[in-house]
Amino acid sequence: MAQDDKAAVRARGHCLCGAIEIEIRGPLRDVVVCHCGQCRRQHGAPPGYTAALWPNVTIHGEKNLKWYQSSPEARRGFCRACGSSLFWEPIGQGRVSIAAGCLVKPTGLRTVRHIFVAEKADFDEITDGLEQLPHSMSAAAALPPPPTTVDA
Amino acid sequence: MHEGDGRVSARKTSGGCLCGAVRYEIEGPLPPPSACHCSQCRRHHGALGIYTLAPAERYKIKGDRNLAWFESSPGIRRGFCRVCGSKLFWERIGSGQLDVTMGSIDPPSGLRIGRHIHLEDAGDYYDPPSR
Repeated sequence: MAQDDKAAVRARGHCLCGAIEIEIRGPLRDVVVCHCGQCRRQHGAPPGYTAALWPNVTIHGEKNLKWYQSSPEARRGFCRACGSSLFWEPIGQGRVSIAAGCLVKPTGLRTVRHIFVAEKADFDEITDGLEQLPHSMSAAAALPPPPTTVDA
Repeated sequence: MHEGDGRVSARKTSGGCLCGAVRYEIEGPLPPPSACHCSQCRRHHGALGIYTLAPAERYKIKGDRNLAWFESSPGIRRGFCRVCGSKLFWERIGSGQLDVTMGSIDPPSGLRIGRHIHLEDAGDYYDPPSR
């Protein structure tokens, strides 16, 4: 692609049963693996998340999407039919984290960092040599990159 | 603490979902978990599927009215909390034994990943371990 086109679909994804399909237009953030205790419980393992701005995300089958508010600041979206984890949303910030596992290959994404490593479980191994942060990352790092209009 | 055969000597393991609606207990030692890279596990978990194994008649589930099952392939079903969506179990229907997600176990588990499986189906957004 010569440029990011707001109308072009950057990536597609779906839950395991297919009841929920998503399309993302515009930039996606690199993948960040979260080792916090809440993510570990909800996913059953440390999840890898990309992120997008909400206006760039289209959800088909939204009636099957169930939200669970896991803290005062955030909620988690999963498929009520198959249980697949799809979203983590910091409420009111206009962005959403999307579980990279739901995306159709090729994703064009790379994992760049691990966060909340201070909460890592004993069975959880990090062997990839990537950046490790003890807690959260900066607000700037959590955002998807701005759209580019010129091919690099 | 690991013994020579890689099994942990814990007498009882407890765990449950994020919201606490589903809880379980497992008696006796558990085998080292397997980390599954298949696309079904990656879609369901949004992560690897990292599971240990609870043998038949050694586990008890509390709050199972909140436990939903999805049959992800013939004869295989995956259990999750219908309230918070936490992934808990993978079961070969009729086997009596239950694969249990490591993330749902109350820490510390005392276990270490024993092997990685279905590396041929790994995601393209990370470098899978070589072993």
